Amino acid sequence: MTSPLKRDDGDVTAVTSREQEVALEAEDQRHAQERERGLARRRRIIEQLQGEGLVLVLIVVFVVMWASSQFFLTEQNLLTAASVVSVLGVMAVAETLLVIAGEIDISIGSVMAATSVLMGVMVGAGINVWLAAIIGLLFSGAVGVVNGVITVYFKINSLVTTLGTYSIFLGVAYAVSNTATTSIGGAGFEELGSGKIGPVPVPVFFFLGLWLIGLGVARWTALGRHIYATGDNFDAAVRAGIQANMLRMGLFIATALSAGLAGIITTSELGSAAPQIGDPYLLSVITAVILGGASLRGGRGTMLGTLVAVAILGVLQNGFALLQFSTYLEDTVLGSLLILAVLTDRLVRRAES
Amino acid sequence: MNDSNTPAGAATVPLLEARGVTHRYGNVAALSGVDLQVMPGEVVGVVGANGAGKSTLVKILCGAVQPSSGQLLVNGEPVTFRSPKDSRQRGIEVVYQDLALATELSVADNIFLGRERRNGMLRVLDRPRMAREAEEALKSLAIEIHSVKARTGLLSGGQRQAVAVARAVLWGSNVLLLDEPTAALAVMESEKIGQLVKEVAKRRLGVVLVSHDLPQVHELCDRIVVLLRGRVVANLRRDEIDLQDIVMWITGAALAKK
Repeated sequence: MTSPLKRDDGDVTAVTSREQEVALEAEDQRHAQERERGLARRRRIIEQLQGEGLVLVLIVVFVVMWASSQFFLTEQNLLTAASVVSVLGVMAVAETLLVIAGEIDISIGSVMAATSVLMGVMVGAGINVWLAAIIGLLFSGAVGVVNGVITVYFKINSLVTTLGTYSIFLGVAYAVSNTATTSIGGAGFEELGSGKIGPVPVPVFFFLGLWLIGLGVARWTALGRHIYATGDNFDAAVRAGIQANMLRMGLFIATALSAGLAGIITTSELGSAAPQIGDPYLLSVITAVILGGASLRGGRGTMLGTLVAVAILGVLQNGFALLQFSTYLEDTVLGSLLILAVLTDRLVRRAES
Repeated sequence: MNDSNTPAGAATVPLLEARGVTHRYGNVAALSGVDLQVMPGEVVGVVGANGAGKSTLVKILCGAVQPSSGQLLVNGEPVTFRSPKDSRQRGIEVVYQDLALATELSVADNIFLGRERRNGMLRVLDRPRMAREAEEALKSLAIEIHSVKARTGLLSGGQRQAVAVARAVLWGSNVLLLDEPTAALAVMESEKIGQLVKEVAKRRLGVVLVSHDLPQVHELCDRIVVLLRGRVVANLRRDEIDLQDIVMWITGAALAKK
C-alpha cells in the first residue's frame, strides 16, 4: 500500500490563491477517503487476526495437550479444569469492564486472601459460616470503595492505588492469620466450591452466570456504551452527561466484590481459610483480560475475547498440572503471554494511526 | 443574506439572553456586565483576542461555569444552570473545538451517547432505531458518511465535527453554542461546517459562534459581538461593517479613535 499521506508540505506554502488551496484540499480529501478505506480494511484484518488468532491459540494449546497427555481429553479432567479456571474467570469479567473503562485493579488477589482470612477469624469466633461469607463479601466491596475513592476522587493512577491496597490487604491477611489456615465448613458451605449440579462443578455456573451478565451489559445496555465511552474519551463522556466518576467507582466496587466472591468460592473448595489463596491471581486475571483484547488505554475489549482467553489459561494451568511442570514455570509463561498481549495491542494501535 | 431569518412582525423574545453577566476568577474579572441576545434563526458571532472572555462566556451559557452575578434567560424566562445537564434540558447544545466524540464507538453510538434509545422490560439498546434516527439526522443536514455503524475514529476531522454538529442539532431545540468549531479543521472542511451553521439557522434555531476565523464569522453571522478584556465593546450588524472594522474593534483601535 503506497501511502497517500505523503505530500510535500513545501507546495502548500507556495500556494497563495484560495482557489488553488481549495483544489489542493479536494485532492487531500480524496486522499483522506482512500486512507480511511485503507484503515478500515486494515482494521478488519487485524480484528480478525486478534479474534481468530486467539481462538487459534486455544485450539493449538488444546491439541498440544491432547497429544501430550492421555488424561487430558476426559470428561472428568475437563470439568476439573473448568472448575479451577472459573475462580479466575469470575474476577476476569468485572476486571474486563474496569479495563475498558480505562482503569485497572491489581489488588484482587489480596482481596481474595483477606476475605478468606476474615471468614476464618469469624468462623473461629463462632459466627455462622454463611453470615461470615456475607460479611466477607461486604468487606471486599468496602475495599472497592477505597480503591475507587482514591483513584477517582483523588485522581491517583489506579495501578498505583491498587498496588498499594494489594500490599496492605495481603499484609493484613498474613499477619492476622499468622500464615496458618483455619478449617471452614458445615451448613452446606462446601457446595459453593466443590459441589456439582449434574456433572458440572458449581464454580463454573458462577463464572458463566457472571460472564453472561457482563456480556449483556457490554453489548446491549446504555451502561455498556457509557463504560466504553468513559475509557475511550473521558471528557466526551462527561460532556455527554455520563456520570463517568460514579461509573468508575461502581466498576471498582464490582471488581472487588468479584474478588471477594472468588475468595469465598476458593475457601469453600479448600474447606479452609488461607492467606495464600490469592497469590496466583494477581498475574493471571490481568493476563486473561489483556490477552482477551481489552486495551490498557481503555475503550476497547470484549467479553467474548475474555472468555476465550480464560479458556486458554484454563487449558495451560491444567496442562502444567498434568505434565507435572514446575508451577514457577507457569508464572514465566503467564508473564510472556501478558507481554505478548500488550505488544499486540500496541501494534494494532500503531497500524491504525 | 439571511433576510428570511430576521424576525418578522411583532417583537420576538430572545431564545437565549444574558443580562449583566459578570464572572471573577479571584480578583480578576473574566467577564464584566456582558449582555447578549440570540433571536430565533440568528447567528451571533462572538469574537475577541485571547483572554477576552470568549470561552468563559460559552461556559456560562452552557452551565459549565456559574456566573458571579448576572442573569440568564431562556425564552424570556430567568434560568439558573448548575451544570451542562440543566442547559441541555432547555434545548441548548454545545459543539467543542476538540471533537468531543468517543472514537471507539460508532457514529450512531456517539450521536446517542448519554441519551440512548432503549426498549423492552430490560431496557436494552434499540440499535435499529438509533441507526435510523442517526441516518435521518445526518441526511437532513446533507452530511455524507457511508455508514452510521462506522467507527468514529475512522472519520476525518471534518466529518467528525459534522457528526458533532448533527448531534447538537438533533438534541438542541433552542440554541447551538459553537466553540471554535473549525479551529482544528482544514479550509474545505471548515466551509462545510459553515454551510451547516446556515442550515441550522434556517431551522429557526439560534446559533452562537465563537471563532478566530474572522472571514468566516463575517460571512456567517448576522450580528457580531466583540469582547475586549471581558466587556462587550461592540455589537455590530453584519451589513454595517467590513472585516477591517471587526479587527479594529478586537484590538481596541476603534475605541481609541472615539
